[in-house]
Amino acid sequence: MSAPSPPLPPSAVCTASAFGAIPEHLRPVLWRGDQMDGAFDRALPSGFATLDAQLPGGGWPRRALTELLLPHPGVGEIRLLGPCLTAIQQQGRLVMLFDPPARLSAQALTQLGFDAGQLLVVHTRARVIPGSDSLWAFEQALKSGHVGATLAWLPPRLRADRLRRLQVAAQAHDGPAFVLREWAAQQRPTAAPLRLALRAGGADRLELKMLKRRGPPLGSPIMLDLSPVLSDALHEQAWRRQRDMAQPAPQLVEPHVHESSQVGGQVCSSRVEAMPLPAATFVSLV
Amino acid sequence: MLWIALHLPRLSFESWLAVRPPDQREQPAALMGAREVLMCNPAAQRLGVRPGLQRVTALALAPQLHLGQADAARDRQALTSVAHVALAFTPAVCWADASESAAAHTVLLQVQASLRYFGGLAALLQRLRAALAPLNCTVRFASAPTAKGAAVLACCADNGSNELHAADLSQLERLLDAAPLWLIGTGRPQSDQLDSMGLGTFGALRRLPRQALLRRFGRALLDEIDTVLGARCESPPAWITLPETFEARIELQTRADTTDQLLHGAQLLIEPLLAWARAQQARVRRCTLFMHHERHRRQGGDVPATTELSIALAEASCDAAHLSVLLRERLAHLSLPAPTLELRLHCADVVRGSLHSAELFTSARGEREGLIRLIERLQARLGAQQVQRLLPVADHRPECDGALHAASADAVGPAASTARRSSPARHAMPEHGRSTAQAVSAPRPLWLLNEPQRLPERQSRPWLDGQPLQLLCGPERIEAGWWDAPLAGRDYFIAQTPDGALVWLYRARLPLSVAEDAQGWFVHGRFG
Repeated sequence: MSAPSPPLPPSAVCTASAFGAIPEHLRPVLWRGDQMDGAFDRALPSGFATLDAQLPGGGWPRRALTELLLPHPGVGEIRLLGPCLTAIQQQGRLVMLFDPPARLSAQALTQLGFDAGQLLVVHTRARVIPGSDSLWAFEQALKSGHVGATLAWLPPRLRADRLRRLQVAAQAHDGPAFVLREWAAQQRPTAAPLRLALRAGGADRLELKMLKRRGPPLGSPIMLDLSPVLSDALHEQAWRRQRDMAQPAPQLVEPHVHESSQVGGQVCSSRVEAMPLPAATFVSLV
Repeated sequence: MLWIALHLPRLSFESWLAVRPPDQREQPAALMGAREVLMCNPAAQRLGVRPGLQRVTALALAPQLHLGQADAARDRQALTSVAHVALAFTPAVCWADASESAAAHTVLLQVQASLRYFGGLAALLQRLRAALAPLNCTVRFASAPTAKGAAVLACCADNGSNELHAADLSQLERLLDAAPLWLIGTGRPQSDQLDSMGLGTFGALRRLPRQALLRRFGRALLDEIDTVLGARCESPPAWITLPETFEARIELQTRADTTDQLLHGAQLLIEPLLAWARAQQARVRRCTLFMHHERHRRQGGDVPATTELSIALAEASCDAAHLSVLLRERLAHLSLPAPTLELRLHCADVVRGSLHSAELFTSARGEREGLIRLIERLQARLGAQQVQRLLPVADHRPECDGALHAASADAVGPAASTARRSSPARHAMPEHGRSTAQAVSAPRPLWLLNEPQRLPERQSRPWLDGQPLQLLCGPERIEAGWWDAPLAGRDYFIAQTPDGALVWLYRARLPLSVAEDAQGWFVHGRFG
């Protein structure tokens, strides 16, 4: 929780503590920890009502970094950000991706509603000194203030001061700025005012834990239904299967890398018995 | 008729010293004429060096003195830049009469016709000062109703503010009364003669009877006085015209090995270039920097005499900071075969037309220009191929369904929707391509692995990262590509990892027909 940096007149602080409520004219600089901060000006709706209700300002913040921690790429992160990013593209603004971790499929982007003409991919890791250019390029894009939205996959084990520098640069950026970082980064503090941990919560579902926000801490994770890859029937079937597995969810804090020893032979074998895999159960796509 | 005169008393010295790196400019330095010191900086003055000293005397006083030779061509080039700055304010710019040695470094502007446009003399002078500031020269300003009067005023405007302004002829007379006589007339010999008669200032000469002056000095001196004071018509001057192409060179007084040295030299050429462009209300679209190398005798002919660096801008610009950023990034990537002795900047490609007016609020055009600058900056540092756009291609094979093209800066941004259709990168996606791309209704994973990763198979199911995968739907058969690669015949499935993430797997369609290492399960993508 960040403290308000501008100095306040002492009388204002006294008033706030005496009446328990903060005067409206002090709201942008002063807020109580148990209240949601509404100071993000015109946050962009994320497209998920459940999530918007929990985000300060009711959406993805502008002029600030939003940190997303993923165990690995491909948990549904683009489908989470898709509604917001495509809305920005429809306003005629550019979306820039920095150092995506793998090749992007153009057809998948088209299916998600992206406009290829308003999307730029910047690769910086091919250079001799890795990491030196990626932060530079991302910072340039933030500082220019002309990009609609930026997504950056930052190099692992990034130093805190580098992230703080990006957060300062993001104040000039009129749009959301997402940084996607490794799962283990949640052990370390961050300069970004909003930090979420994302994890797959089933087929076409995303489990989202709010690690940091300008508001009261949120204990339980949020489950979001993403735009389905699978058809509804299959979706239901997959969800039921996963529930039936009743696999104990691993702790959110620990790195989400499963060694083969961790899973345990007994669990696996019982699962195989419960669900043999005859070839006939394959459902063809229509 | 109102004239402004710009006199640059230290132009030779300043244009020579500017080439030195900024941290060395404070050290003692002096500019030599044929034999004697012409000008020196304060550090040299503190050591006792002053104009007029012999070379040996100056070096005896200050052994560490950095000496340079006066160069008429260099002075001319610097003065030309000042004239180009002036040409942005009025088309009528001329040199002061070159025969007068004192007024050699003086530029005259006839500004009567420009006063109304720029909002008066004070506003015009203020803009002129701001426009001349990047050239880093000491400039003395004067304005007077006559050209010669303005030139003389500018030469003697060494008061604190470096400015003298005469609104009308009577004020000009008053101001000129104190001017030394050698500034006018035919030069030193005559002024020595006048001096010996006890005439030191212009005022003293003017008060003498005209008939006596005519008898002793002839018609020329009287005509000169009348011209300065506006009693006699001035002969029409030769106006300066702007050259079609810009060409400027700079001698780097040292063998430049590093980018910083080159960049410093090149930046000194950018301001003259922009002055030339602004004089014709144009913006630079492409310029070329030539680096002339030192000739190595031993290496013979394998070192090229010149390295060429061409800088092309997607959106023509008149911004010195932007040009120098581009130049820095480009120079940082350049490896030079030999030390550089001289730089030359050439420009013939400009876009004429009025600049956009400054905007208070952000607009689509401002945003597009900002984006173009951003992309140019990224491309200058990372390389043009590293900033890419992804275009769908009509191909069913997932590894071929998109093509990355280097982003061209002019085909981006909100205003580009019409330009994009005609862009050359567009050919990669013909109309039927788009329809095919949209027609693929089967889900495609967002992240594709560069190389499909082979999965171990245990208990008749594929395992990923030590966990079994649950196949959810499939197969979707993709069989294509016999024409440009080995036929890809694959059956794709969507599978789920135990934690719920979706991955895309395939299996060879005809397992026995493919090689041993192409059999079994492969993971090809992840649904992001």
